[in-house]
Amino acid sequence: MSSNDTLQAHSDSHPPSPDSKGGGPYILLFFFIGVALSLVVGWGVFPKLLYSQKNQPFDFNHKNHLEMVDNGCQSCHFFRADGSFSGSPRLAQCVECHEEMQGQSEDEAIFVEEYVSKGQEVPWLVYARQPDCVFFSHSAHVNGAKMDCITCHGHIGTSESLKTYEFNRITGYSRDIWGRSISGLKSNSWDRMKMDDCAECHAKYDAVHDSSVQTKRDACFVCHK
Amino acid sequence: MKLSRRCFLSLSIGGTVGTALTPLPWKLTDDMSIWSQNWPWTPVPPDGAYTYINSTCTLCPGHCGIRVRKVDDRAVKIEGQEGTPLNQGGGLCPLGLSGLQLLYGPRRIQGPLKRDGERGKGQWKPISWQQAIDEVSRKLADIRSQGKPQSLACLTDSDTGTVPQLFKRFLNAYGSPNFFRMPSVEDAYESVLSLTQGVDGFAGLDLYNADFILSFGSALLDGYGAPPRVMQAISRLKEQNGTLVQVEHRLSNTAAKANVWLAAKPGTEADLALSMAYVIIAQQKYDTDFIGTHTEGFEAFVRMVQERFDPQKVAAYCGVEADVIVRTALAFATAQKPLAVYGKGKGQTAGSLREALAVHALNALVGNINRVGGVQAIPAYDYLQWPAVMTDETAAAGLQTQRLDRARSPEFPHAQAIVHRLFETVNASPGEVQALFVAEANPCYSLPGSANVQEAFDKIPYVVSFSSYMDETAMQADLILPNHVYLERYEDVPVRSGTTRPMIGLCQPVVAPQLNTRHVGDSVILIAKALKGAVAESFPWADYESCLQEALGDQWDAISDQGFWAAAESAPASLDNGFGTPSGKFTLMDETIGAVYQVGEPSAAGDASEYPLLLMPYDSIRLTSRYVGGTPFMLKTVADTVLKGQDGFVDLNPETAAHIGLGEGQAVRLSTPVGEARVRVHLDDGVMPGIVSIPRGLGHTAQGPFLAGKGVNVNRLIAPVEDPASGLDAALGIRAKLTKA
Amino acid sequence: MKQTQTHNQKPPQRYGMAIDLDKCTGCGACMVACSAENNVPFKEDETNKLLSITWMKVFRITNGREFPHAEVCYLPRPCQHCAGQHEGHSPCVSVCPATATDYSAQTGIVSQIYTRCFGCRYCMGACPYHARYFNWWDPVWPVGMEKSLSPNVSPRMRGVVEKCSFCFHRYQLARDKAYAEDKREVGEAEYQTACAQACPAGAIVFGDLNNPEHAVSRIAQPDRHDHYKSQNPRAFRLLERLGTNTKVYYLSDREWVRKAGDNYLADENPSASTPPKEHA
Repeated sequence: MSSNDTLQAHSDSHPPSPDSKGGGPYILLFFFIGVALSLVVGWGVFPKLLYSQKNQPFDFNHKNHLEMVDNGCQSCHFFRADGSFSGSPRLAQCVECHEEMQGQSEDEAIFVEEYVSKGQEVPWLVYARQPDCVFFSHSAHVNGAKMDCITCHGHIGTSESLKTYEFNRITGYSRDIWGRSISGLKSNSWDRMKMDDCAECHAKYDAVHDSSVQTKRDACFVCHK
Repeated sequence: MKLSRRCFLSLSIGGTVGTALTPLPWKLTDDMSIWSQNWPWTPVPPDGAYTYINSTCTLCPGHCGIRVRKVDDRAVKIEGQEGTPLNQGGGLCPLGLSGLQLLYGPRRIQGPLKRDGERGKGQWKPISWQQAIDEVSRKLADIRSQGKPQSLACLTDSDTGTVPQLFKRFLNAYGSPNFFRMPSVEDAYESVLSLTQGVDGFAGLDLYNADFILSFGSALLDGYGAPPRVMQAISRLKEQNGTLVQVEHRLSNTAAKANVWLAAKPGTEADLALSMAYVIIAQQKYDTDFIGTHTEGFEAFVRMVQERFDPQKVAAYCGVEADVIVRTALAFATAQKPLAVYGKGKGQTAGSLREALAVHALNALVGNINRVGGVQAIPAYDYLQWPAVMTDETAAAGLQTQRLDRARSPEFPHAQAIVHRLFETVNASPGEVQALFVAEANPCYSLPGSANVQEAFDKIPYVVSFSSYMDETAMQADLILPNHVYLERYEDVPVRSGTTRPMIGLCQPVVAPQLNTRHVGDSVILIAKALKGAVAESFPWADYESCLQEALGDQWDAISDQGFWAAAESAPASLDNGFGTPSGKFTLMDETIGAVYQVGEPSAAGDASEYPLLLMPYDSIRLTSRYVGGTPFMLKTVADTVLKGQDGFVDLNPETAAHIGLGEGQAVRLSTPVGEARVRVHLDDGVMPGIVSIPRGLGHTAQGPFLAGKGVNVNRLIAPVEDPASGLDAALGIRAKLTKA
Repeated sequence: MKQTQTHNQKPPQRYGMAIDLDKCTGCGACMVACSAENNVPFKEDETNKLLSITWMKVFRITNGREFPHAEVCYLPRPCQHCAGQHEGHSPCVSVCPATATDYSAQTGIVSQIYTRCFGCRYCMGACPYHARYFNWWDPVWPVGMEKSLSPNVSPRMRGVVEKCSFCFHRYQLARDKAYAEDKREVGEAEYQTACAQACPAGAIVFGDLNNPEHAVSRIAQPDRHDHYKSQNPRAFRLLERLGTNTKVYYLSDREWVRKAGDNYLADENPSASTPPKEHA
């Protein structure tokens, strides 16, 4: 039966056939088609649509650099004297070694030509950037609780190249905040960086206070501004 | 197979069930809520490294130390510099705190501008710096070639420090004696020190160490001197159970905090001071040692006081009862470290020389001259040791001419500059000023009788403004060479207000220049060089910075590191050789001083029968009426009984208001002999009956939407009243009337 | 035990303020310093005081007498950070349906999280001190002026309520520094509000009311067993009889000023009144 026939039938303006159970087995089929289609959309298409990709200005080899410095991650991502955290290194720090080309890589060539010689800061896309309302104290976690970087940031320090930066088209957040898994599930502590993930760890390590009158957990102002 | 409605229904149910099993709805809900919390147009201030830079605020003569917090290359907050010799507490005034709104604000001039259309219409053509310098120097060369170098006048905020001195030097080399600084209470104090002590310098009021402060209308808590220093001194006075007496017709913030408020009628303050002198002398409470050993003219002074200033007599017209005068005078004389303070409001006018002398005489009577907790004469700063100016023939001839205001002539020997006379001269004989330089001053707004000033500007053929902001005066200019604002430039600012300890503040660049502006010192040097000849030779410096470094010499490293240089704490000058008078003594009375006491107080202009009320301006620290206009943050602090929408208010005593039939908030027409304005009425029991009280600092006609068109500029309603003794403007207020609008 | 150990050893911090009204000159430096510190938005017309946002606001009060017996006193009003009759029973926190405002038992500070607030304004109705302000519009900074914004305080968007936080971000930064120096305590001088720091008259003193070494506790002399009522005869709190148990103490020698702090009958003596006893 073709769809033309159906249209024909309707256009004839006959009353609906009493054989309304005719669709019986099909109804179930359509149900499953609906389920299947939406599963495909929800798990497959939706994440593709939700996230947009951007490339970093040039690639960076963390592993290489880590091997050459003395003080681990903090050689470049350091604490200032006032306890604030420097985040991504500024050009001035890089220039200490990269005034001239150090190797042969194409990425370093881009860096030296486009940024060092022009004195321009590298517009790095920060995977772990939290929204403006969050006050995250690196000092409390690293200096205070003596945590390592991997707990939250994973093994980025030993990576040989930068992954593609993905950001949420609706919120503008980096994908790493919600996590790579669209379901929000995680297997490692560094897979996600939402507030619940902070809370989970605080609960686990006995770091939780009951200072909030509203939530009986940590007060909002501990991590918000 | 037949597709029925049910199939579609089933498909969509299946789709719904399936969707619920995917992260889509939950993730979308989360994302939508986040989206609704983070509008893309809400700014996210970038984070970075925090640094602090010490500098000096130049927004008022207080010159407080400031500490500017920076995040990378942005300045994000100005705070007081804690622990400097003159600001232990680290507090700062509202203007100083909101300086970043001037730096980054829309009021600034983007680069050099040439007038392109009628004056005052705000039509400008941006030009290059080279063009701008060429243009000025061509014009000046022209005037000079006509043999009239004296027709170039210059008006700046102050006359100390390298920048004003560069202007003065330029005028000297060019051949004009007509360098002017804006009027202030310094003018009166300079005259007083010169007349009584023979000292060329400024008065250091040791408010911090005094235990009894008798203030004659000084807005000690509303911006007098250096606001934070003075306020700290008053707080300390309270902690030490000292006494503050405020003589003022209005319940100002200072009167409100005083232990005793003496509501003397305006214009009777000098008489009140002299009647206190009467009491102190009559009860023999004066410092016999100081009077006997270190003063001259005491007998003549006593005669004058006894003749005319019996408290009973004075009480009859000054509004303070005789027994209150006696009590206050005795309390003052018996205090350990009494200090009488002169200067109305913030001290932006010279005021009456007679009153200044009378107040200083009180200090002398209690022997509180050159003592801790008293008045110390501080010699003028002398760190600028520049080579002599080269003067060619033209310059020499020009410098021989009489100053336009006749200051420092036998007529007005003690006045440094009489600004209102400059503009009166221009209005009377326009050809006398061919060109005018205005730097760090806004005379078209902040001088009493600003309508006349503006008229004079119309008559000056060539006006060059060095203003950083598009203010009322810049609007009247032909050419604007915008200066960096104080957070972008170097400048030495010698401190003269509210201190007994000489100190030079250094204003340092906190951020790089944000716009196409240039340091005013560099502009002057470049103009001089473009004029060539002796004028150029008088300016041997490559640029302003090298001129400044040379001026500060060995101190440069220390001063640029610390942000200031302060003289070592030292004892006040000794009384034995502290006076530069011919007799080496403090002159309480001689012929000149006697003549000043003889003339009456300058009275307010206007006919009392036509104008039954007296309009008196008052100063508020929440507003500013000098070169720099108020900031948006300051306007937040202004009460809605001072400014509401565009309407400015006057304060009236309820009794006065009832008499005219006015109620709270009512709109009225305020007229004076020189102008009129529409205002609204606010009833205030702190205002003396018969007086209309109006704030200074509102009614701008320029400087952008945050400031322009709000309230009334009192300077449009009052006119200068010349003090016969000094030639300076001593206008307290003006007669006025209110009629229902 | 999920509580940290320090809990049991000494009382938590209780940040508060003492403002000497006899020193306050009404200059407004606190208002400006606060606005500059906290990215408070401003408009061309700030004269409609219902719409003008001022976390710190200086009120002018008078004794109502005639010239020349009139007197004036200024009263700076930050958020009073009410504790209420039991810790955290602040008027605003109790009514917030969005958990946007919260009370920290650790610091005694009432917080406001702008991204959490959905703008119902119940808290504004509940606050007896008018300390809360609503953003009816998106704040606009004239071009270039956004450069002066501080990264320490989140700029607000339209539709949310904002208020004084006792400059909590300064506590956060001070704590960062303390951790870096391997300390756990934030000293008195290390955490000061912008208003206290800016006050030229030294009228505002800020610190931990529970720490006898802090100047504020010596001045305010709070009685821990009587809802922190001050034992200093010069001191009073605003609308004390509402039982809001505020953390801002005012001081004055003048009886009429102390009386202006609450609604008293003509013959009532403020120093004799006590807050209502706790129900329960």
